[in-house]
Amino acid sequence: MTQGMTRREFIKKGLTMVAVGVTAPSFITRTALAMNNPWDVAQVTSRPGVPDDRILVVVQMGGGNDGLNTVIPFTNDAYYRARPNLAIPQKEVIRVTDELGFHPNLAQVKDLYDKGAMAVIQGVGYPNPSRSHFKSMEIWQTADPEGRVVRYGWIGRYFDSKCPVCEQPTVGVNVGQAMPLAMNAETGMGVSLENPETFQWMPALNGLGEKEEQELFKLLNAPAPGVDEPGTIDFLRHTAMNAHVSSERVRAAVNGYRSGVEYANTRFAYSMRLIAQMIAGKLPTKVYYAHMTGFDTHANQRGTHENLLQQLAEGVSSFYRDLEAQGNADRVVVLAFSEFGRRVAENGSNGTDHGTAAPMFVFGKAIKGGLYGDQPSLTDLQDGDLKHGVDFRSVYATVLDKWLGADPAKILGHNFERGAFI
Amino acid sequence: MAVPSLRRFRPTASNPWNRVKAAHLLNRAGFGGTPEEITRFAGMRIDAAVDELLNFESTQEIAFPEIDFTPVHRLFEELVRLRQSRAEQQTVRAVANQLNRANREKFQEIRASWVSRMIQTRRPLLEKMVLFWHGLLVSGFPETRSAEHMAIQLHLFRRMATGSSKQLILAISRDPAMLSYLDNDTNRKGRPNENYARELLELFTMGIGNYTEQDIKEAARAFTGWTFAGNEFVFRGAWHDDGVKTFLGRTGNWDGSDIIDIIFEHEATARFLPRRVFEFFVYQVPEESLVEELAGVFKRSNWNIKAMLRTMFLSEAFYSDKAMRTQVKSPVQLVVGAVRTTGTEIQPLALVRAMDLMGQALLYPPNVGGWPLGKGWINTASLMLRYNFSTLLLNGAMPGVGGGRRAAPARVEHLIDAGKTKTAGDVVDQLVDRFVQSPLDRRRKWGLLRAFGTNREDMPIAATGTNFQSQLRSAVHLVMSMPEYQLT
Repeated sequence: MTQGMTRREFIKKGLTMVAVGVTAPSFITRTALAMNNPWDVAQVTSRPGVPDDRILVVVQMGGGNDGLNTVIPFTNDAYYRARPNLAIPQKEVIRVTDELGFHPNLAQVKDLYDKGAMAVIQGVGYPNPSRSHFKSMEIWQTADPEGRVVRYGWIGRYFDSKCPVCEQPTVGVNVGQAMPLAMNAETGMGVSLENPETFQWMPALNGLGEKEEQELFKLLNAPAPGVDEPGTIDFLRHTAMNAHVSSERVRAAVNGYRSGVEYANTRFAYSMRLIAQMIAGKLPTKVYYAHMTGFDTHANQRGTHENLLQQLAEGVSSFYRDLEAQGNADRVVVLAFSEFGRRVAENGSNGTDHGTAAPMFVFGKAIKGGLYGDQPSLTDLQDGDLKHGVDFRSVYATVLDKWLGADPAKILGHNFERGAFI
Repeated sequence: MAVPSLRRFRPTASNPWNRVKAAHLLNRAGFGGTPEEITRFAGMRIDAAVDELLNFESTQEIAFPEIDFTPVHRLFEELVRLRQSRAEQQTVRAVANQLNRANREKFQEIRASWVSRMIQTRRPLLEKMVLFWHGLLVSGFPETRSAEHMAIQLHLFRRMATGSSKQLILAISRDPAMLSYLDNDTNRKGRPNENYARELLELFTMGIGNYTEQDIKEAARAFTGWTFAGNEFVFRGAWHDDGVKTFLGRTGNWDGSDIIDIIFEHEATARFLPRRVFEFFVYQVPEESLVEELAGVFKRSNWNIKAMLRTMFLSEAFYSDKAMRTQVKSPVQLVVGAVRTTGTEIQPLALVRAMDLMGQALLYPPNVGGWPLGKGWINTASLMLRYNFSTLLLNGAMPGVGGGRRAAPARVEHLIDAGKTKTAGDVVDQLVDRFVQSPLDRRRKWGLLRAFGTNREDMPIAATGTNFQSQLRSAVHLVMSMPEYQLT
């Protein structure tokens, strides 16, 4: 890194804190310096053979996705017996093998599957499964089924390990209204936004000029050097500074790229397009996080669920085509999960109650597509629910190790078995 | 430091009942006070101040207008008529669309009118409790399809806000908005729907870990047949499973109200609501000894909410360092509080929209768990939105709200008492008193002085003239763009 460039960039970007006579706290200085050349790979140590510019996109399917109506055991009588109203008729299923197929609304991702760019990992879960949305989501996000109190998420702990661009707030970008626990990092890195246009502090432009207002904003928000402040106010100052140093860069990245690929008019597709724009704009980010909600289909499931699968397929498919057009498809892996699957038998409301194991999906040009793990038995059940065959932490371990080049044992606490999908 | 307790707070010379504590009470037990209200409360005895908020029944409320649902009723009846007479598909769909639109407009109207009520109310604690219940006993769009059902639910909360929580739990179990939100309206014998039973135990009364999956299944059976027709609760005998159930170790032919009776026999229930109330009003993760004390009050009062609130608002814990100015304002608290303490007039729908962007969309909770507390409100984007909110007050628009064009600048001169203003320091002190309500460190105070073009507190200033007005607007925006303003 050349110091001269740093200085000029520093001043040009207006990131310096010295103008109002305040010494910048060290974390801001580090951040500002690191912003100079986001993908300067010489800055970080990385594992040979694992490029530093790889990206992970996590898609959270909130509410508990009905795995059995997503990847369908269409030759299994037990499936049709358990679901007289909700089972997908055999002739509508998109066949993948002689026994398993996709929901008809997953046609667009079936194309990815056929290209070898989609892996389905079946029967994913964990021991003693919780059927509470909140407990189970916390378990997936912290990768801790043992119920210890874990303050940091599995992705956050990856940020806390030595990873490329980990010193920058934008190492993790959540697209959504609330930051997921999964991205909570001890170092406080990671930003959250919904709309790049509102992701900036606006001067009032009344009495003072913009420049003066910006300087005062920084003075009023910067952590006080050498002063140990109580937790919440310190957290607010750090968040304000993270926003301040990243908002301009995020907006520049997003505004610098217009995709030729058409995206559906859904919130999820909007999130995926925004992520594609940030990737095209070379934002220094290792993990993006996108959200879908509404999978909690206790009643009148059919229409809701098929609509959600349609949204998932459209969003992922457009995103993939966009990345191909950018020439970035090799750099990105998408991982989709839900906090649990649903009960094998339907209820009397034409819906399904909370269940356990379900499939996970991995997308990407660089992965080894196909079916992994075994379809859980529909007759050997535990309290009416499927028994898991694959621990979700082994999927995380595979991604951390083989895709991001991190040490999963340090992040997950155990050395979980690696899958073959990467 | 001594562990905070629920012992009565007794003001002393070194730890008096003063403006900072009165402001704290007004913030937590309501949506904040103006400097004048704070002065009035500080001049009262502490128990008189608490009782004025708590015994809101004796305060005459403003006559807020009721929302008129007749346009929705008329469209609904027309739709039924068209369907019965087998009208053309196209006609039916057109009316169905009109009905959806009318219903959505009513949702917006309820949201706007509730925010107006929070701003104008003379019973701030009551509206604070309605907000508490809305965030705990969660229902909302789109699962609850009818706007009118949501209006009925808010009335229910307003009617039962500080009475018996056991009666409230029974009432919410029979409430149409809740019955549709958690699908109990289709819960029937043979293939029960577990949604309501699970959340009743996990989120409304006991908390996870105090019952088994089998208890959920049995409770779901007991609630079969609890549904609604129109705006009324209906018990459908033909749908009800009247077989024997074993719930929390008790076996009998239970129905939903028996389940609630059994739930309230358990120690976990006695601690659950006190903990939630304490976390909402005082601070998160309270000491177990405090929860136990509050649970005692809760039990002795036969599950009465007001008794618990009174103990809490008069306690040492409530005025301890751990509680004072440590709570992150919810978006509702931030927005309603800012409007109340500045006396600005803004379109209620713009305020609703601002809260939506900040992550608290009234009647549209993120999920059955309701909204977060504390740091959960804050991320890089929400913090910028919260900071920018002051431009909605000052200029009539903020990014994301109001089309981006400036309305006429709002009045600000009433925020400063010209008679008490001789120096720049006087102006900053008054701003800090109104907005931060506790002392500010020197460095930040100096930053605010800079908005008036000076480094010196004793710089003479005249609180008149157009230049002063525009400097004041910048200073207000800056003070509301500070971490300190995010806390209460």
